[in-house]
Amino acid sequence: MRVNRTLIVSLILAALLVVPAGALARRLIIGGSTSVLPLAQKLAAAYHKAYPKLATPKVEGGQSDVGISGVASGRFDIGDSSRDPLETDPHGLRFTKIAQDGICVITNKSNALTNMSQQTIVSIFTGSISDWSEVPGAKITGPIDLFDRDGASGTQDAFQHIFLGEELKVSPKATPESSNGLEQSSVGSDQQAIGFVSFAYTGGVNAVGYQGIPCTLRNAKSGQYGGVRNFWMVTKGAPKGATAKFLQWVTSGNKTTKSIINSSWIAIH
Amino acid sequence: MSGADPTTEQIPAQNELPATPTMAEIVRPPRSSTSTWPLIDRLCYGLCWATGIALCMIALAIVVFMFVKGISYLRPSLFIHSPAPSLHQSQSGGFLDPIVGTLIIAAIGTLIAAPTGVALAVWLSEYGRPAWLARAVESAIEMISGAPSIVLAIFGLLIFSQGFLSFLSQPAAEGSLGSSFLCAGIIMALLALPLIVASTRAGLSQVPDHMREASYALGKTKATTIRRVLLRAIRPSVASGVVLGLGRIIGDTAIVTVLAGGNLINQANGNVPILSTLRGTGSSLTTYVYENSPAGEGNAHQKAYAAAFVLLVMVLALNALVTRLTGERTARSNWLSRMRPAWIR
Amino acid sequence: MPVGVPNHRRRLRRTGSDKRAEFTLGALAVAVLVLIGLMLITVFVKAWPSFSHNGLAWFGSGGDVDTQLRAMNEVTPLPGHSIYYFRAWSLIWGTLLTTILAVLLALAISVMAAVFLTEFAPAPVRRVLEPVIRLLAGVPSVVYGLIGILALTPWINQHLISNARKKSVDLLVQLNGADLTTATLILTVMITPIMVAIIAGALASVPPSWREGSVALGVNRWRTIYRISLRTARPAIVAAAVLATARALGEAIMLAMVAGGRGFAANPLDGITFLFEPVRPLAATIFQESGAITNGPVSHTIYAMAAVLLVSAAMLSFAGWAAKQPLKRYGIRA
Repeated sequence: MRVNRTLIVSLILAALLVVPAGALARRLIIGGSTSVLPLAQKLAAAYHKAYPKLATPKVEGGQSDVGISGVASGRFDIGDSSRDPLETDPHGLRFTKIAQDGICVITNKSNALTNMSQQTIVSIFTGSISDWSEVPGAKITGPIDLFDRDGASGTQDAFQHIFLGEELKVSPKATPESSNGLEQSSVGSDQQAIGFVSFAYTGGVNAVGYQGIPCTLRNAKSGQYGGVRNFWMVTKGAPKGATAKFLQWVTSGNKTTKSIINSSWIAIH
Repeated sequence: MSGADPTTEQIPAQNELPATPTMAEIVRPPRSSTSTWPLIDRLCYGLCWATGIALCMIALAIVVFMFVKGISYLRPSLFIHSPAPSLHQSQSGGFLDPIVGTLIIAAIGTLIAAPTGVALAVWLSEYGRPAWLARAVESAIEMISGAPSIVLAIFGLLIFSQGFLSFLSQPAAEGSLGSSFLCAGIIMALLALPLIVASTRAGLSQVPDHMREASYALGKTKATTIRRVLLRAIRPSVASGVVLGLGRIIGDTAIVTVLAGGNLINQANGNVPILSTLRGTGSSLTTYVYENSPAGEGNAHQKAYAAAFVLLVMVLALNALVTRLTGERTARSNWLSRMRPAWIR
Repeated sequence: MPVGVPNHRRRLRRTGSDKRAEFTLGALAVAVLVLIGLMLITVFVKAWPSFSHNGLAWFGSGGDVDTQLRAMNEVTPLPGHSIYYFRAWSLIWGTLLTTILAVLLALAISVMAAVFLTEFAPAPVRRVLEPVIRLLAGVPSVVYGLIGILALTPWINQHLISNARKKSVDLLVQLNGADLTTATLILTVMITPIMVAIIAGALASVPPSWREGSVALGVNRWRTIYRISLRTARPAIVAAAVLATARALGEAIMLAMVAGGRGFAANPLDGITFLFEPVRPLAATIFQESGAITNGPVSHTIYAMAAVLLVSAAMLSFAGWAAKQPLKRYGIRA
């Protein structure tokens, strides 16, 4: 009898697990770029507030390439990308621009460079200059500690395209970090460090001006600052159903989304 | 031992064996100084002392460092607030969600691993036929215990991303998401399984045969003997195995990071009260520490220290539990409190 | 067994409940075996494309691992190679370095510390140390990583790595405190407590009469310990070493935090600088790339690395078993 009772209880539990699975309205799964991550999280929370009946979309990190391949493989409903689409991306993806963002070159606070020309940035990041004594305006001496982003990062792609041009790549000896946050904390704790992050992560480090223009949100919005890149949300084909609803809300330019995006990014709708 | 010449002493009669000297009567030989030893022996002796003292100091330094840092950053408000998703983590948020997450995963893992482990151990030591199957199962369990947890995690991700298992997490555009507390808990059970099996087998092997024979003599079947007699007798072993497995589950980060989603807040999935939380994603204390350390996104090391302190307290509590469960059996099981023979100083 | 069954028939008659119980438990054991077998097969099947495209050169060196992983992530093959091109030698070398150095160091320290604890330490020291060591054995690896990355790495960066040293390897790699030394030190601290516990337990179980015999022959204390106790504890030392190596091999989180993350094969010919070069062990690489598991080539490479780790763990257990075999001759039960 005892065995039978245990069997019955476990069968009921199993049924409970399986049955409601079909009855659920599925949450959206968004994943990808760590630069877009804070924006996507805020948008998701505000979306749930605006439409309380719909579940908050689940937002994950990864990196831009992870977001794109995740959408292609069906793991994510929406992928976040902080770089422009490339020909090598999987076919059939639809990129929707949602905002713009700026990239700042950052140094440690004890090395408060105010400005760097493109030539200097190129020489430093490709490795031709390797000592701070060769950099005009540097406040310290010693070897330069380069920080980069690792393989799948869209910020790295965008940085290379905007600051280094189409041909050059960041020197392979740079230390790769896997997120903006990590880049920010590495540069913040190493006096001789230099790296690049998205706007929203410039707390605690020194943001270096680019070609005479300080790296601030206002300069980026006015178009003066040159290091601006696009944020995309990627879907497999045209967005449908719940995905379409979300994307439509994000790109509609309504008050909520505008105020969220304008807090640390540049609204375009 | 007493120095008397055995050849001149009369052999005592059978019932007149000399009394065993008590502690007080043992004459301790003078402690030989090491100055008579060869140089190499003195060197090794000194090295042992040095290493021992160094180990003491490092161990105490680590423990004291973690406790001091942890307590200095620990605030009661951390226990009741959820993590706040902002770019400036050091300003707000606590670790209520990670603590809940740890408890959920530990509970699921142990609930799955404990009965399975005990059943496996019982089969291995009481039945174990055919022999090749038993050896294969033993090797498989040993392989699991040696496998890195990250490998188990990616294996779990592979399995749970299949569409037909979407009831365990949530369906994705193709297949399923593969990340939820349930998924993490199931793979955690694999982590704890070898410890429970080993502990239960050790306990079973220590049950003397006459207990089993007595039960058979009373007419009980083997199954009943196992259920009524043996399982009751090995309760402390099973309990200590479960607690050891629990300790391993609580301390694991890789599986939680990969299989329970990457967010710090626990997000339920659906409307069913408990199941939605189990099917949802979230974090545990270990991933919270990882995310808040300079290696993660948060860069709020104060909260990382506080959470690490909570983890240490949990480990301490589990260790104390294991000591209580096994210490009552014999003092010998406590490897350092074993008395050295009195004549070796 | 029911009363009245003659002796010679007792073993042959199993009651229904017995047979059911054996069948159920056996089925459970087979299910667990199948699950674990499935895991192994899946890992190897998914790893196969990476091995088949690279052949045995997968284990060799050739190019920068980080660049290769980046190319796979971006689905852009490196010029002249297929998308699966991967040369894992720097990762394997990093794993070997950290594991072997940490285990050797920990073995030396644990044996001596265990001897100290069981033989020489005064009672109050032992009473304090025993719970402390058990606590350290149970501390999660992420806490060790936290200490490493917050306390040890900046200290090494500021005090042990001079600017001149950084310049000397500047063309190839950057030194910033997260390196082989930090990784090895923390790994040693992680695996020492469990080794000390196992070896000390074995030392305490040496039959006293053996040591009494040795002392009675006039051997001094240290030699008694060395010749008798440590020899008797050899199976436990082997077991502890195997356990520690398995733990060091599989350590992913802590090493991802403090080992440097740069797939560079640390070069012993660099002298002292060799100790400060970053390494990237296999398990840490798997952890760091696990986000991209949906990407085809990356996922095959990750599973290939996982397959290598599983095979190493299996070889390690076999080596442990083989090392204990000769000891069985002397009746020392392993």
